[in-house]
Parts: sequence; structure tokens; C-alpha cells
Amino acid sequence: MRVAFVINDLQLSGGMGVVIAHARELRLRHGMDVSFVLARDQEEPNWRYDALAEVPVLSLRDAREHAFDIAISTWWETTYALFALRAERYVSFVQSLEDRFYRPDEIERMGAAIALDLPFSAFVTEARWIRDTLAELRPDVPCHLVRNGIDKVVFSAPVELAPRMDGPLRVLVEGYAGVWFKNLNEALAAAAEMRERHHVTVVAPDRMGLPTHLADRVLGPVSHLEMASLYAESDVVLKLSSVEGMYGPPLEGFHMGATCVTTEVTGHEEYVEHGVNALVCDWDDRRGTSRQLDLLAADRRLLHELRSNALMTAQAWPSWPQAGQFMAATLRRIHQRPAPAATGGTARLLADVRLGIEEQRVYRAERREARWKAGRYDRLLATPGVSQALALRRRWSGRLPARIVDPVLGRVKRLLGG
Amino acid sequence: MVDFQERITQETEPSIRVEHDVRYGAVAPLVATSAAWVDLGCGTGLAARAAIERGRPPKATFVDVDEAATGEAARAFGDDATAIVADLSAPDGLAAVRAAIDDGAVVTCFETLEHLPVFVALLELLVELAERHDVTVVMSVPNDAFSGVQNPHHTTVWGEGAVEELRGLLPDGYVLAHQLALAGSVLAVDEEPHSHTIEVTAGAAGAAQTHFVAAFGPRAGELAGSAAVAQVDQRRQRAWERQRSADLAFYRVLQAERDELHTALEDHIRQFTDYRTYVHELEARLGLPLSGAGGDAAATVAAPGSAAADAVA
Repeated sequence: MRVAFVINDLQLSGGMGVVIAHARELRLRHGMDVSFVLARDQEEPNWRYDALAEVPVLSLRDAREHAFDIAISTWWETTYALFALRAERYVSFVQSLEDRFYRPDEIERMGAAIALDLPFSAFVTEARWIRDTLAELRPDVPCHLVRNGIDKVVFSAPVELAPRMDGPLRVLVEGYAGVWFKNLNEALAAAAEMRERHHVTVVAPDRMGLPTHLADRVLGPVSHLEMASLYAESDVVLKLSSVEGMYGPPLEGFHMGATCVTTEVTGHEEYVEHGVNALVCDWDDRRGTSRQLDLLAADRRLLHELRSNALMTAQAWPSWPQAGQFMAATLRRIHQRPAPAATGGTARLLADVRLGIEEQRVYRAERREARWKAGRYDRLLATPGVSQALALRRRWSGRLPARIVDPVLGRVKRLLGG
Repeated sequence: MVDFQERITQETEPSIRVEHDVRYGAVAPLVATSAAWVDLGCGTGLAARAAIERGRPPKATFVDVDEAATGEAARAFGDDATAIVADLSAPDGLAAVRAAIDDGAVVTCFETLEHLPVFVALLELLVELAERHDVTVVMSVPNDAFSGVQNPHHTTVWGEGAVEELRGLLPDGYVLAHQLALAGSVLAVDEEPHSHTIEVTAGAAGAAQTHFVAAFGPRAGELAGSAAVAQVDQRRQRAWERQRSADLAFYRVLQAERDELHTALEDHIRQFTDYRTYVHELEARLGLPLSGAGGDAAATVAAPGSAAADAVA
């Protein structure tokens, strides 16, 4: 069976790692002719994924020359290239509800939302909450659950876990500081407010916006093997994401004997149980999160219990070969079954477009008003005498006259604001 | 210590054996009224005898990778049973199984998938047989995720999440049943064993499953609830629990002693550090080498007014 995974790029990301792992399994263990199709040209060099050597990468132009049994989109932006391919079935691999990655006034939010309304033969997803949500949004399209596996060779769980009786609590934080919903900086701030002894390691692929002074050790980017070692050195993974599909880092940490303090972000319920293998903290609760970390630092029996149970949870999680079997069977089933009617999502698509247009109309109106107000202020500043008065105010010799000018300027500002 | 058994034998713990009896008991009505029955992963067939309590099908086939076990299962059933030795994760094994399954047959496949390195091929075969050849399949997988037990004979791991994945591959109209643990008691009026009929009320809501059982095919709806109880060795259970309590108490005392020693050690270290600081001050004043500092000349600090300090001047 010929399968195409349409991807946006080959940069480092958890989502890309999942796609590559599935592609590799399908190709090597299930005899499928799997290719990656790049939805766009990329300038950056590829991240050094080992499996890339085993799966061919095609440009969109080259891929159009082929016919596929199944073409699979892996990100909302790749759906635009997906339907440019010739395939018997079009599938969307949904790793998260991607419109949530964007703020309400960002136009990409609409693009991500309508991507779910397209005429897919099936959805495949990695988390039950996504499957259930898609079943409500698109009851006309079957949605299959295929959980992500874990590389049990790289993340090789210890047979036994030695209790850590003393020493600072070793906290690991990872992610991109520049991605707002990862809340990396909030995690570092919470760890910094701990009262008990602690050691914080942050692993970030880039340092942009990262408050490195809040960590004891700053690393990254690192390979999977290096990451596994870091997890093994840690007692707890601190994960305060506000948007996730089904996150992998706490599960990887579980495999290496680290427990987790996490928000109740979507997908956590796939393997996190509060008080059993991890602690779940409240949203935007820096103090509460710090106190939970302090609890783990102070109560080493509890820490060991959570770490031990985390390890057991990990041992019952599927490997990539097991996950690959479900993916292979799922794709074959999708191919065997008749595709649903292509118009099933049309009404929803049009409704989402309409909603997006109305929302953008409101934002445009707000921006026009803001520009108009800013324009008035600019014109005022350009008025002869005003700019000079402001410059005088900024100099120390102008402070006395400023006491005369300020009330006048303040009244002007209020008038503009009114 | 947990004893992982690959096969059910007469020596198998009653609490494990009864789980198998319940599953085969649940399919007994199906098996009794079927034209043919195929038991995949049959083992020795010891537990399968519960499946024929309500009646024997005219044709029975027992399939396992272990030749001795398969033969034993077929012999226990009778002359009209067939034994097939097959690896259910290999293409030729699956081909042999496919040839042995007639249209309309009932197929049982209990506690087998998790032993197969490649289970998906067997699963797809069973689904195809159910959808196109009127075969009814009843299969089970363990809840490894809940028990946390690491069974070395399990090549894949199963639990709620894996069963959710499995559901997406089953034909329409499948039945998903949850196997639960029971606790019980019996009043014995004499030393002789007596048979008792027990009525049990049990529900899956909020309960932890020991196993998941899925039935699919035309007769899936006939899967009956089933329950069984077995006398357990309370002495052994008690010994295990008491050993845990004793261990806990013992290690708590050890921990307390350790904490005391740790505190005392920290105090001693502080005291010795103070002593050493004081001694070093005295040695420095006297122009003597600092004790415990390696004994090299560089460690000598000349005290003001000392002969060593005069010599340097």
C-alpha cells in the first residue's frame, strides 16, 4: 500500500517525531511504501532524525506524479497540499485541535479550524479526548484512535528504582520559551519560588525569551538519548502547558523514573493520575505549583511512591512497534472501507468560514479605531509647541515647567481617550 | 513473588484458574449451539472444559504454538477434536488457522494476543471472518496497565487505552465486556468439599477490570455474563500480607535509626570541623604545618613574630 505523509517541514518537534516514527514502522515492519511529501520548500537544514534515512522525502511537485492509496495530512497547513495529491483516501492525522495554538485575533485560527471540515475519509488521532471531540464535530467521518508509542530502547526503563532520600529536588523543564502555550517561563518561575532545596534543569531548543537566570542548568537542543539521560537524572518533570494534544515528555520522564507535576491540560488523562503517579496543579497557580514541588522535596516517601507508580505506568505503555501495528491495521481498514460522502463537512466548513469572517471584521474594526486614535495623537504631537514641550519635559531642567504643562497634556490625553 | 505461568495447569493458582473458567463459561452457550468451535491459544485445554459444560459442538479444533499442550487439549475433548500446531503471528500459522475455520464457526481467543509479537495479522483475519464468513469471535486481553504486573510472556501491553484502539478496528455490533475481580466467603459445616450455588450482583461502572473481553460477529450479542468463585489459600495470602507488614515495620525502624545516625553524624562533622578550625588557628599562630592539610611546606603559615617569619624577612 502506498502511503504519503504530508509534512510542513523536518524540524525538531514532538509532533514531527511521532509522524516519523509511524512512517518508519509502517515501512519497515508492515511492508508499506511510505513517503514524506513536503508541503512547502524549506530553507532550514533538517533536524537529525535517525529514521529519515529510511523514509524517502518527496517535494510536492514530485509527489504529484504518483498515485497513493492513502494520503495523510499531519498539520492544518499541510491540508492545502494534501488534496493536491492523487489518492484513493485522504486522512487527517490530528495530534491536537490546532486552532487553539492561536490567539483569537490571529487569522491562522480560522485556517486551522476549517481544516477539520475538509472531505477526509477518516481522522486518526492519538488521544481519546480528540477522538471524542471529532466525533461530535464530524459525526460523518470515522475517527480512529492510535496512541503514540515510546522508543523503549532509548527510554529504557530501569528494572528497579532507588529511593532518593536527600539532596535537592531535581526538576526538569523542557520546551520552547517562545511558544506561548508551553508556559515554559511560568514553570521556571514556579520552580524558582520553591522554599525547599532544588536544582532546575531547563532543556530548550533555543534560548529566545528564556529567563536562564531562573535555572541552574540550561541545555539544548539535545538528542533523544541525551534527553533520556536527563530524565533519568531528574526526580520530577514540570509541565505547565495550557494546550496539548497528548504530550510526550512526562511519559518519557515516567520511563526513566521521574514523576511529574502538571496542569490538567487536555491529554494528560491518557496516563497521568493525580496522587498515583504524578501531581496535578491548578491553572495559573504559581504558588500552588511551588508548594507541590516543595511537598515532593520534603516528603521523599511520597516522591518515591509517585516515581515508582510512574515507572509502572510507563511499563504498560506501548512501544513503537505496538503502536505501529495499530496504525497499520487502521490504515488498511480505512482503505478497505468506502469513503464517506465528500459533502459531509460542507455546511460546517461554510459556517466556520462565516464565523471567521465575522470575527475578523470585528478585529479589523477595532484596529481601524485604534489607528484613528493613534493618528489623532500623532497629529497632536506634530502641533507646533507640543513636541518641544514634551522634549523639555524629558530634560531635568524642564521639570518645573513640566508641572505647568503636565495637567494640560493630561487633559488633552483624556479628551483623546474619551 | 509472582509466578508467571504461560499455561494453565492443575497447579495453577485457583484465583487465576477461575478467571479462565469465567471466560470459557461465558461462551459455553455459544459453543454448545455452534456447528464448529475453534479455540486459539488453547494451552492444555484445562480451562476450556468449562466451555463445553452446556454441550459439546460436533467439531472442535484446538490451536497453539506448543505441540504438547495442543495435543493434550484435543485429547481431553475427545476423538472428534483436531489439534493444530501453529504460530499465530506467522503467515503460515495464520493460513493453517484460516483453513480450519468454517463459515459460521465460533472462535475463542483468550489471553493470546498479548503473547504474539505481531498480533495485528490475527486480529485482521478474525475481523474479516466475522464480517464476511459469519464467524463469531470472542477474545480477551489482560489489563496490564491497571495491574502494573510485568509479565515476561507478554510481548505487548494492554489496558484501557489499547482496548480503545482495538475498538476502532472491530466490526459494527461488537460487544465489549469487562472482567472484574470478586471476593467471597463460604461456610463449611464439615471437612468434606461441598458444591454451592452462588448468586452474584456485580457491575463494571467504576470498577477496575482484570481483563477485557470483546465479542464480534453475528452471534456476539449472545455473549452471556458469567461468574465463578474458587477457594483460595488464605494461609498463603496471609503470609504474604504479614510479611509485607513486618517488612514495613522493620524498615520504618531502620529508617528511624538511620535518621538518628544521620543527625548524629552531621553533629559530629560540625564538631570536628570546629575543632579543626580551632587547631588550625593555633597551628598558624605557632607556625606549625596545618594538620590534615597534606603536610606540604606550602601549607605552613608563618605566625607573626615567629622564627619562621623572621627567616622569611
